[in-house]
Amino acid sequence: MDEDMIFDPSLKKKKKKKTGFDMDAALAGETGESTSVEAPAETGDVDVPEDDNLDLDNFGKKKKKKKKTFFNLEELENTLPETPPTEEPEQQEDEAVDDLDLNIDFTNARKKKKKKNIDEFVLEDDTKGEDQENADDQHGVWVGSDRDYTYDELLERVFDIMREKNPSMVSGKKQKFIMRPPQVVRIGTKKTSFANFTEICKTLHRQPKHLLDFLLAELGTSGSVDGNSQLIIKGRFQQKQIENVLRRYIKEYVTCHTCRSPDTILQKDTRLFFLQCETCGSRCSVASIKSGFQAVTGKRAAIRAKNV
Amino acid sequence: MSIQNLNTFDPFADAIKSSEDDVQDGLVHVRIQQRNGRKTLTTVQGLSSEYDLKKIVRACKKEFACNGTVVEHSEYGEVLQLQGDQRENICQWLIKSGLVKPEQLKVHGF
Repeated sequence: MDEDMIFDPSLKKKKKKKTGFDMDAALAGETGESTSVEAPAETGDVDVPEDDNLDLDNFGKKKKKKKKTFFNLEELENTLPETPPTEEPEQQEDEAVDDLDLNIDFTNARKKKKKKNIDEFVLEDDTKGEDQENADDQHGVWVGSDRDYTYDELLERVFDIMREKNPSMVSGKKQKFIMRPPQVVRIGTKKTSFANFTEICKTLHRQPKHLLDFLLAELGTSGSVDGNSQLIIKGRFQQKQIENVLRRYIKEYVTCHTCRSPDTILQKDTRLFFLQCETCGSRCSVASIKSGFQAVTGKRAAIRAKNV
Repeated sequence: MSIQNLNTFDPFADAIKSSEDDVQDGLVHVRIQQRNGRKTLTTVQGLSSEYDLKKIVRACKKEFACNGTVVEHSEYGEVLQLQGDQRENICQWLIKSGLVKPEQLKVHGF
């Protein structure tokens, strides 16, 4: 770790140098750049200096965080034309998306979804009907004869029954948990309003107090529900950030840990919260909400005056 | 061949061991707090007291180019404070240095 600490300043220096170099390169090959903006750095036959140009273009375009640009710069330093640095950030993005994919949609378009669902139901109904017919046929085959069942027949029968009972499972579609996005508005410069707080509590079937405790503990601030049933949080927060925290809440306190169904009840039992699933019947304890350590960020003098 | 009954086997060995690095207690909480403006503060709570927090903070300060301190808290023990949003940095650093296992880390905040 000691070696790495020495790393930082040197990197910065490199960056400065490189930016100087950028300008030169850009001035040298303006026409090359303008054409190469469209084409990514995958063409292997290009000469080394031109490749540099391509890379620079790309990271100019992407506007990634500093870290990633560091990576790129290091690669430029080594002048490795074979490794296109474009791939790295994309992969990372994908991972991020995977992490966030909790089957929770914060979709604005509610109506559309409903329509779609209806369509799906219609389709499923159709398939159901067919399945039942098939099943009837096969039952008929078996009823008359005395022969042994073949494996394929039995397998088919099992799947038919499964399809009949819960069509969503066999078709591989995960039931999506759709909810309205949180409406987050800034009040003044220091406060944030979470307008549809109670509405979201209702859709999640959770006590507003529980969600409030979680939000405040997680964000490390204070806040309260005002007369218009909206939540006022101290501090600046964006909708995205609140969404992230809500996702975490849903993962921990709403969806069943075993079957991930959102059809659960949160019960308090001897000081512990238990999550009881209505779908699979599992019951497990969930972590208690603790705000943990809070550093002093306000005015120390005021706190001291209060204590004395 | 040995007679099993005569073996000295401590049935509670596992329990004693697991109580030390229990998942709940051994969790390291990384939190973020907003300060005035767009400034933030990162706190790391729950690092084992066996480690020298002062040395850790010294290394972190150098690594992330930020200031930091160790705060003594009556309930939570020694807590690390770093200036700015260092959640990503501190997580990676703690894992890389082997002080904390990835499953022990718990990142809070937005």
